[in-house]
Amino acid sequence: MSAREFTVADEYHYDYRSPWRWVASHIRRYPLLPIFFLITTMAMAGAQSLSAVLVGRAFDTVIANLGGVAIASAAGLVAASYLAYAGFDIINTIIVRILSQRVERDARDEVYLSLLGKSQTFHGRQRTGDLMARVTNDVQQTSQLISPGFNFVFESVLSLLVPLIAITTFDRELLLVPVLFLAALAAALWRYNRQLRPVAGALRERFGVMNAGLTEAVAGIEVVKGFAQEPEEARRFSQHARAYRDSFVRQGRIEARSLPLLIYGIAIGLAFTHALILFLGGRVTVGQVITYMALLNNLRMPMRFLLNVFTIIQQSIASARRVLGLITTETDLDENASGVAKPIVGEINFSNVSFGYVAEDAAPADPSLVLRDISFCARPGQTIAIVGQTGAGKTSLTQLVTRTFDTLAGEVCIDGINVRDWSLDSLRSQIATIEQDIVLFSRSIAENIAFGARGTATRDQIEAAAKQAQAHDFIMSFADGYETIVGERGVTLSGGQRQRIAIARAFLADPRILIVDDSTSAIDSNTEDQIQRAMRRILTGRTTLLITHRLAQIMRADQILVLKQGMLVAQGSHDELMATSSLYRQIFVPDERAQVTLSMVPSFGND
Amino acid sequence: MHLTAGLGAEAYDRVYSDSQLIRRSAIYFRPHMRTVLIVTFVVVLISLAATATPLLIARGIDTLNGNRGLQLLLGLAALVTILGAMNWALNLVRVQLSAQAVGDVVLALREDAFRALMNHDLSFYDKYAAGRIVSRVTSDTQDFATVITLTVDLLSQIVLLLVITVAMLVINLQLALITLTVGPIVILVSIGFRRVARRAMQQSQRAQASLNATIHETVSGIAVAKNFRQEAALYSDFREINSLAYRVLLTRLVVFGSIHPIMHAISGLAIAVVIFAGGSLALNGTVSVGDWYLFVQSLSLFMMPVVTVAAFWGQFQQGLAASERVFALIDATPNVLQTAQQSVGTLRGQITFEQVMFRYTQPEERLIIPTAESVPQVEAVQANSAATTNGWVLSNFSLAIPAGQTLAIVGHTGAGKSSLIKLIMRFYEFQGGCIQIDGHDIRQLDLAEYRRQLGLVPQSPFLFSGSVFDNIRYGRPDASDAEVEIAARQLGDGSWVDSLPNGLQSDVGERGARLSFGQRQLVALVRVLIQNPAILLLDEATASIDPLTEAQIQAGLTAVLRGRTSIVIAHRLSTVRSADRIIVLRQGQIIEEGNHESLLARNGHYAELYTTYFRHQALNYRPWEETEDEKTEEVEAEMLPSEV
Repeated sequence: MSAREFTVADEYHYDYRSPWRWVASHIRRYPLLPIFFLITTMAMAGAQSLSAVLVGRAFDTVIANLGGVAIASAAGLVAASYLAYAGFDIINTIIVRILSQRVERDARDEVYLSLLGKSQTFHGRQRTGDLMARVTNDVQQTSQLISPGFNFVFESVLSLLVPLIAITTFDRELLLVPVLFLAALAAALWRYNRQLRPVAGALRERFGVMNAGLTEAVAGIEVVKGFAQEPEEARRFSQHARAYRDSFVRQGRIEARSLPLLIYGIAIGLAFTHALILFLGGRVTVGQVITYMALLNNLRMPMRFLLNVFTIIQQSIASARRVLGLITTETDLDENASGVAKPIVGEINFSNVSFGYVAEDAAPADPSLVLRDISFCARPGQTIAIVGQTGAGKTSLTQLVTRTFDTLAGEVCIDGINVRDWSLDSLRSQIATIEQDIVLFSRSIAENIAFGARGTATRDQIEAAAKQAQAHDFIMSFADGYETIVGERGVTLSGGQRQRIAIARAFLADPRILIVDDSTSAIDSNTEDQIQRAMRRILTGRTTLLITHRLAQIMRADQILVLKQGMLVAQGSHDELMATSSLYRQIFVPDERAQVTLSMVPSFGND
Repeated sequence: MHLTAGLGAEAYDRVYSDSQLIRRSAIYFRPHMRTVLIVTFVVVLISLAATATPLLIARGIDTLNGNRGLQLLLGLAALVTILGAMNWALNLVRVQLSAQAVGDVVLALREDAFRALMNHDLSFYDKYAAGRIVSRVTSDTQDFATVITLTVDLLSQIVLLLVITVAMLVINLQLALITLTVGPIVILVSIGFRRVARRAMQQSQRAQASLNATIHETVSGIAVAKNFRQEAALYSDFREINSLAYRVLLTRLVVFGSIHPIMHAISGLAIAVVIFAGGSLALNGTVSVGDWYLFVQSLSLFMMPVVTVAAFWGQFQQGLAASERVFALIDATPNVLQTAQQSVGTLRGQITFEQVMFRYTQPEERLIIPTAESVPQVEAVQANSAATTNGWVLSNFSLAIPAGQTLAIVGHTGAGKSSLIKLIMRFYEFQGGCIQIDGHDIRQLDLAEYRRQLGLVPQSPFLFSGSVFDNIRYGRPDASDAEVEIAARQLGDGSWVDSLPNGLQSDVGERGARLSFGQRQLVALVRVLIQNPAILLLDEATASIDPLTEAQIQAGLTAVLRGRTSIVIAHRLSTVRSADRIIVLRQGQIIEEGNHESLLARNGHYAELYTTYFRHQALNYRPWEETEDEKTEEVEAEMLPSEV
């Protein structure tokens, strides 16, 4: 992997050329386990065939009338061979499961590490659900390639072949039926798998459709009922459930018609005939006929395993491919470690910037561009408010400053230096972002705030930041204060509280440039007061790009950028825009009356 | 996480006796009686054929030992071949027919469960997590199907067991008794094993859940971790949990993997005993060599069903429990009932509440089944947090809304604002008093017809996956593209349509996730308008919307509300100001009433609510300027040496 943002020293390197090679390189990490696995698997197949041979010998002992002691020792040998098989089986099971679990653990570690190393560009595009599915389910499914996948294949193939070797010990001609049986079985299995695959796929897909439809109907029950659409929903659900039922029945039909069972049944009959003919010819003993039939009996279980194992292998390798795809996704930005590294003053300059997730040579007029021909300049310390509807490109614009993305055309400069020429570390460490969705980790509040510090933060620094962010008081209202655990496994904080924690983080980071996506809103005015005071303090003295829905904040920005479908349609101060931009005026017209009303009512201050 | 989800008991769960469950399941099989009979018959035949094969081979072996009749031997061999082919053909019939029957039964069960779901009122959905409801309709029915399939398998195994037992007893009593002792031993081992396995399973589920939670947290919080370069700390936490999970999961796998070798060892010992005992008897001439062979063979035939039955029992219980959950869902009684079939006609929109008593669930009716999993159900409690007196959300509540009025409701959380709207929607049943629509008792109205004339825009608008077109058309599937387009353009200046990535054809994504909150709200609004409802019920969003969209919504709303009975739970300053009438709710009581100006002037609860909720929406809001001195004070305080 080329560009990564996080690495560890003792990392193991795997083979990324194909999913098979990748899994193989994981297995190679523990070279002794597959060797022991093969040895014990062969021992199991040997013991199993030996049991059949020993049972046959026991019969010959009786027929030859060798007496009770001989029978007892024959029975003892049979018991020993079974116990040996069981012993090898247990060791084999433990070995193969250790191997599969280690691969699962290592793969999970590997993919987790690679996630940490990916840039925000990558993470910004991923859906959480999909990532989770790959890191949890797909990794687990990958390990099933080893157990039961390879495990069954090796065991079954050996259990099919070793009896044949045992048969050669008494008469090679008896190989005829089993060999024909194996050839026919291989053909039948191949055909069965080819038929089953599309149907099994359709079955899973239809279950997914049914489940998704149902989930939606339940989640939207208020709408369903509000529009009296219950009969329509019931009809739709029936349709999905019926489609699933049809696939289920079709799968049943294919399973029913699979030929291996027929082939086996006929093979047993033919083998018996063959053995009888040889016996009549005096070439084999009764005991050998019995052994022969017992060996053929051993073929039944591996045949059943093989019916299912290919599906498992296919699913596992598909999972391995998804996991590997995630690991090897290239991150397009490099760290540029040798770039400019110096304190930022805070001037931001966009000149003719275009951006989109399209080919490099797209014309600036291309409608799929997210941003088109944007130019503006923010002087150090200014607050620039960005206004526009969702999808207008507000967030993308700010992401070009942190180099979360690179421009397609034009350039973004900070202090007159193109962001591409800055060292990524120096650039990002001097820019802080307060995101719209504030994430808190399942740790203490103090640790969550300390996230902001580049090094380690002292408790005093943390508390000072919290005070600046107006967070200290509510933090102290918890029994455990700064040690209160928050997040999924702890106390749930309100939106306003989370926002203040995020502001405290930013205080600790003390950036030169601040990007605030302040699109959440407080429900009550007191919370809003606190947030606004904190916000005001953090903005002071820093160049700020501010995405907000709060009209009062927009009005007071030094400069306002009005974006519409990726284009900068107006820019200027509030007063200028009220005079020149009809789009901007639209925002404030419905509220004009409010201003008048409010100014007529005296004394609405809080305290 | 997902492994343990859906296992906990719900309040509507009831306990059915096994015979009730079986009788209940039998109802679903009645239409497939013929199939069931054929399958049963075929299963018996298969078992007979399976027993016949070793019997024939044993006869063959006896023949080998005695006279050497060529024809007899070849006849036997031919019979074995034919039996093999027959076994396949019978199996074909069995698998195919049972797949059909099971498919149909599961389909019927799912349809019933879904219909029951649709009949439940919202109190049901408040109480029970959506994921669990869904898993009852999909997974539990599936588990039930698996059990049916297994039952058929089990039946064939039991028949096989009986036939073999009888055959063995007939052939040789002594050897048969020796062979049969294996049964109880295997069953005992299986039971002991299940106990160990269950513990391993639970532990591994827990490990898996905490592992998933850790990964989920990282994935969703990666931006913060990167911004502040905390990757190393996250990684070391993860490593610890990952290696713990490795150990626990491995233990489970090894435990589960050990059952097969253990059973194999037992059967090996049993075979040795039979070989010894049978061999001794054969030496005396009490048993023929062929019969002896039969017993040795029977052991493995005998082991299989016993192991299956033992392993099956746990699954069978799980399946019964699954069917119990499905039936409980079907049998739960809805609270909202329609008492007459009164046709609605075209509503004028006059609404009257008279002495209405209303509360959400009655806790004493909730039935908690004491199981290990029945941890207090948090979601059931938090769904309805209305502040109440004696549990009543509305108590002797009276209100008359004339047709055509725009009524704004304000009040703190839990004052009963949403409950009013939900009662008009008939989402919940009230316990006393009377609600009349145009002078008719709301309970007697034809529910579907009535609801079609109501337009509800909930606080967080729900969209179905599909296009914006599909969503707008949801309540009126017959609306033409042109109608939808016109309705959509009516809101604001219509430019919100252009701001959608693909106009009205835009895919809204799962639950509307691809649209912004404001866009979703606009779609929800148009969806209601295209029905031209007589009564509009609007629960304004508390989440803020980008200023341009907000402006469009407001412009649109003003036009929509005019001349229609509308009830708005107001969170926006502009809404309360433009309402004909404002009522102020506190603990389910109307405490003030009037318009914005008169209520403000009164300086009562409304004025207080205004300071609490609306003040920051005004344009001259500037909290930081009031506190400049406060700020300097704090900074000074920080510069002093810490006295605390």
